[in-house]
Amino acid sequence: MLRPEIITQLQEIVGKPAVLTAKEDLTSYSYDGTATWAHLPDVVVLPTTAEQISRTLKLANENRIPVTPRGAGINVSGGSIPIKGGIVLCTTRMNRILEISKGNMVATVEPGVVLQDFNLALAKEGLFYPPDPQSFLGCTMGGTVAENAGGPYCVKYGVTKQYVVGLEVVLASGHIMKLGGVTVKNRTGYELMMLFTGSEGTLGVITKITVRLIPLPKASKTMMAIFDDMVAGGQAVSNILAAGVVPAKVEFVDNFVIRRIEEMTPMGLPVDANCLILLQTDGSPAAVEAEYVQIVDILKESGAREVKVAKDADEAMAYWKMRSAGFAAVFGAAKTVMAEDVAVPRDKLAEFIKKLGEISERTGFFIQYLGHAGDGNLHPAIFTDINNKEEFARAEKAMEEIFEAALSLGGVLSGEHGIGLEKKRFFSRAMDPVALELMKQIKKMVDPNNILNPGKIWEEEGA
Amino acid sequence: MTSKAEFEEVKKFEKDLGQCMKCGFCTFWCPVYQEERIESSVARGKNMMVRALLAGDLEYTKEYAERLNKCTLCMTCTANCPAKANIPNIIVAARADKVKAKGVAFPYNIVYRWLLPRRKLFGNVVRFASWFQGIFLPKTQGTIRHLSMFLSALGKGRYIPQIAPRFLRQMVPMVNKPTVANETGIRVGYFTGCMTDFVFPEVGKKVINFLTRHGVEVVVPREQGCCGAPVFLGAGDLATGRKMADTNVKAFADFDYVVADCATCSSAMKDYVKFLADTPERQEAYTKFAGKIKDITEFLVDVLKLPPSAYRAVPEAKGKKVTWHDPCHLNRHMGITRQPREILKSIPDIEYVEMPNADRCCGMAGSFSIYFYDVSQKIADKKMAGIDATGADIVVTDCPGCEFQLIDTTMRHDSPVKVMHIMELLE
Ligand SMILES: Cc1cc2nc3c(=O)[nH]c(=O)nc-3n(C[C@H](O)[C@H](O)[C@H](O)COP(=O)(O)OP(=O)(O)OC[C@H]3O[C@@H](n4cnc5c(N)ncnc54)[C@H](O)[C@@H]3O)c2cc1C
Repeated sequence: MLRPEIITQLQEIVGKPAVLTAKEDLTSYSYDGTATWAHLPDVVVLPTTAEQISRTLKLANENRIPVTPRGAGINVSGGSIPIKGGIVLCTTRMNRILEISKGNMVATVEPGVVLQDFNLALAKEGLFYPPDPQSFLGCTMGGTVAENAGGPYCVKYGVTKQYVVGLEVVLASGHIMKLGGVTVKNRTGYELMMLFTGSEGTLGVITKITVRLIPLPKASKTMMAIFDDMVAGGQAVSNILAAGVVPAKVEFVDNFVIRRIEEMTPMGLPVDANCLILLQTDGSPAAVEAEYVQIVDILKESGAREVKVAKDADEAMAYWKMRSAGFAAVFGAAKTVMAEDVAVPRDKLAEFIKKLGEISERTGFFIQYLGHAGDGNLHPAIFTDINNKEEFARAEKAMEEIFEAALSLGGVLSGEHGIGLEKKRFFSRAMDPVALELMKQIKKMVDPNNILNPGKIWEEEGA
Repeated sequence: MTSKAEFEEVKKFEKDLGQCMKCGFCTFWCPVYQEERIESSVARGKNMMVRALLAGDLEYTKEYAERLNKCTLCMTCTANCPAKANIPNIIVAARADKVKAKGVAFPYNIVYRWLLPRRKLFGNVVRFASWFQGIFLPKTQGTIRHLSMFLSALGKGRYIPQIAPRFLRQMVPMVNKPTVANETGIRVGYFTGCMTDFVFPEVGKKVINFLTRHGVEVVVPREQGCCGAPVFLGAGDLATGRKMADTNVKAFADFDYVVADCATCSSAMKDYVKFLADTPERQEAYTKFAGKIKDITEFLVDVLKLPPSAYRAVPEAKGKKVTWHDPCHLNRHMGITRQPREILKSIPDIEYVEMPNADRCCGMAGSFSIYFYDVSQKIADKKMAGIDATGADIVVTDCPGCEFQLIDTTMRHDSPVKVMHIMELLE
C-alpha cells in the first residue's frame, strides 16, 4: 500500500481522473497476455506528457516505489505485470502521431500509438513500417520498441530495432533524455538507443519514438504450400533461403491449427495436411512474378504436395487472417497453454522440428507449434492444466527440454516476446555469464534504486 | 460470504467467460475504450473483473457496477474476437447476478420495475411529462426542445425529440386491412415499441401504411408492451423482463410474423430465449417467438420480396444524398446489413452514399447514454465525422434509439443533416 500523500502527489502531477485506485481498476491492470501471471498494482497512472512521466518517476525514485511501464498490456512474457505492486505507468493516452515525413521517410510517434493506427495513417501516405507483431490491433509502439518486437515481415525487412532512429527516454531519476534523431545514419558515440530498445521497461520509460519507413511495396503475391511431412516443410524454408530468395513472409501452421481453424471458421483448408507454409513475396511487379515462380519450384522440389497461389487480394487476406487466428486457435485449446518463443538458426529448422517430435514422444505431451518459420522462430506449445500440479510440473520439464534443444542448435530462448517473468528462470543458462554480469551492472547504474519494472528478466539474488 | 448461487447467470455463459485469452484485440474495436483508453472500458477488462468477482477477489461495489454498465453492448468486440468470446453475454449476465444479489438501483426500480411493464400508465406519465415540457421549457429549433422532467432523467440537457402530442396507439386502429386488391394473404402483428409509439408515431403510421398498400394486413395488438431491453439487458432485472416477455409472447400468439421497426426491440425480443428462458415452457415459447420476429427491412426484402420499383422517396427527400447508419442491434445482433442497403439502392430519386464506419456504434445504448452521456457524446462525434465525410443531406437508420442519438448529435454540431427512419424516407 502506498501512503495517501503519494496518491495525492500523483494526482497533482497527472490530474485526478488519470490516477486509478479502485480495486476494480487495479484488477484490470494486473494481467497481460500470459495465462498464468497476475499481480495487482497499488495505483495506475495515465500520463499524457513526458514531463508528467518525469515527475512521476522522480517521486517514485525518492520514495523507492516500483514503477512498471505499460502500453496495451498484451505482451506474452509477463513483462507489464506489476509483480512488486507500486505504480503501473500506462501510456495508452499518449497516442498522437506527431509527424510523418514523406521526404525524410521517417515518422515520430508517442509511445501509446497503437501499431495498427500507425499502419493505417502510413498507408494513406503510401508508406510502410514493416515490423508487424501479430498483435498489431492492440500493441503500442512503446511496447513494441521495449520488446523489440517482430513479425512475419521480419524475414525480409528485419525487426523493430532495425527501424528505430530516435528515442526520447525518461530515466528513473526523472531526467528526460534524447537519443538518436531523425537521420537514418548516425555515428555519434555509443548506440544507447539500442540499450533501451528491447529493455522491457527496466531501464527507462520511452516517451517518443522516431522510426524510419520504406515505400509501400507495389505488388505482392501470397502462396500456401501443403506438406505431408513437417520436417520436409522445415527443410523447404531453408532451401528457399539458400537459393538466395528472401520472401517477405514465411509462416508455419501445423495440423492442429489447421483443424481448429476449420472448426472455428471453415475455409476449406486441407485438414489432413501435416503442415502449411504460407509465403508472401513483394516488391516491383516484375520481381514478384519472377520470385514467386522460383519459390513455387523450390517448394515442389522440397516435397510440397500442392502449392496454392492466392488469385487476388481477398484470397491472400483470407490466408493471412487464418494465420493470425492461429494464436486464438491454440490458446482456446486447453486450461493452460504453455507457449514458448524459441528461435533457431534457419538452416537448423528441420532438425529442430525433428527434435520436437522426439521430445513429444519421450514426455508424452503433444507439442503444437505455429510460428515465423522464415526467422527460425517457432512457438512450441504444450497443453496442460496449471491446477493439476503433477502434470504441470511434467509439462514444465518438457518445456525445458525444448529450450535445451533450441540452445543446443545455436538458438535463443526468446525470438520476439522477451524474457519478462515467463522465461527468467532459464535466462542465466542462455546467457554468457560475463554478459549477464554486465547487464546487471548497467541496470544498477541506470536505475540504482531498482524502481523500474523490478523483478524482470533475471532472477534476483536471494530470491 | 458470496455463495456460488449468486453467479448463476454468469455460469450459464462459462464458455464465454473462459474463452477470452486476453489478446486485447478488443481494444481496437471497442467504442468506449477508444474514448477512455483504460482497461476497465473494454471487454477483456470487464471479463477479468467478472472472473475476479467469481474468484472472490472483488465484491459487488458501486465501482464494479459502474464499470460493468459502461458498455454499449454493441458487439463489435465479439464480431472481431479471434477466440469468438461473447463478452456482452457475460456483461448482461453479470448485471443480472448483481440484481439478484443486491436488487435494482434507483431510478431503475421505479421506472423499470413498475412503469415500463405498465404500458398505459407509462403512456400517461410520458403524456404528463410532455405537458410539463410545453409549459416550463423553452422551445428550441423546430420540433426539438430541451427536455422535461420525466425524460430529463434520460436527458442531462441533451436535445431530444418532443414527445408526440398523440401516441401511435391513439391514432391507428387495431386491425389495418390491405388497401390494395392484390392481397398477399399475409397477416402480421406489428410490434410498435415505446419510441415509435410515444416519440415517433409518424414512423409507425408509415409502416402500417406501406405494408397495407403492399397487400399485408397489419394488426397492432393492444396488449403488447415494452420489449424489455432496458429492463433485462440494461438493468439486469430478469424477473421483470420475464413478465414483459410473457406479455409480448401472448400478445402475438396468433401471428406468424412479428414485424418491428426498432432494431433494439427486435433483437431484445430474439434474446428472450438466451437470457430469460428459465423453464422448458419458456424455452419453447421464446424460441418460437424469436423465429417470428422480422425487422421491417428484412420483412420487405426477404419475406415480401418487393421489386425495386416498390421503393420511391417521399417528395422532400427527392434529389437528396442519403447515407445509412447500421444500428448495432440490426447489424451485429441480427446480421441484417444487406436488406436496408438493397432498399436504399433501389430508390431512383435519391443518391445513396455509403458512410465510412457505417457499422460503428452511435453511442446511444439506452441507459448507457443516461449514465455516461459524456462518453456517449464522444462516440457520437466520431459517427458525425463519418456522416460529414459523405456529404449526405439525410442519414437514415432503422432504430429509434439511434435516431434519438443522431438527432442530438446533429443538433449539437449545428449540422443541417436530417435524421430519418428508413421507413420515413419511403413514399
Ligand atoms: C495474439 C498475440 C500475438 C503476438 N504476436 C507477436 C508477434 O508476432 N511478434 C512479437 O514480437 N510479439 C508478438 N506478441 C507479443 C506482444 O504483442 C508484444 O510484446 C508487444 O510489443 C506488446 O506491446 P504492448 O503495448 O502491449 O506492451 P506491454 O505489454 O504493455 O509491455 C511490454 C513490455 O514493454 C514495456 N513497455 C511498454 N511501454 C513502454 C514504454 N513506453 N517505455 C518503456 N517500456 C515500455 C513494459 O514494461 C513491458 O515490459 C503477440 C501477442 C499476442 C497477444
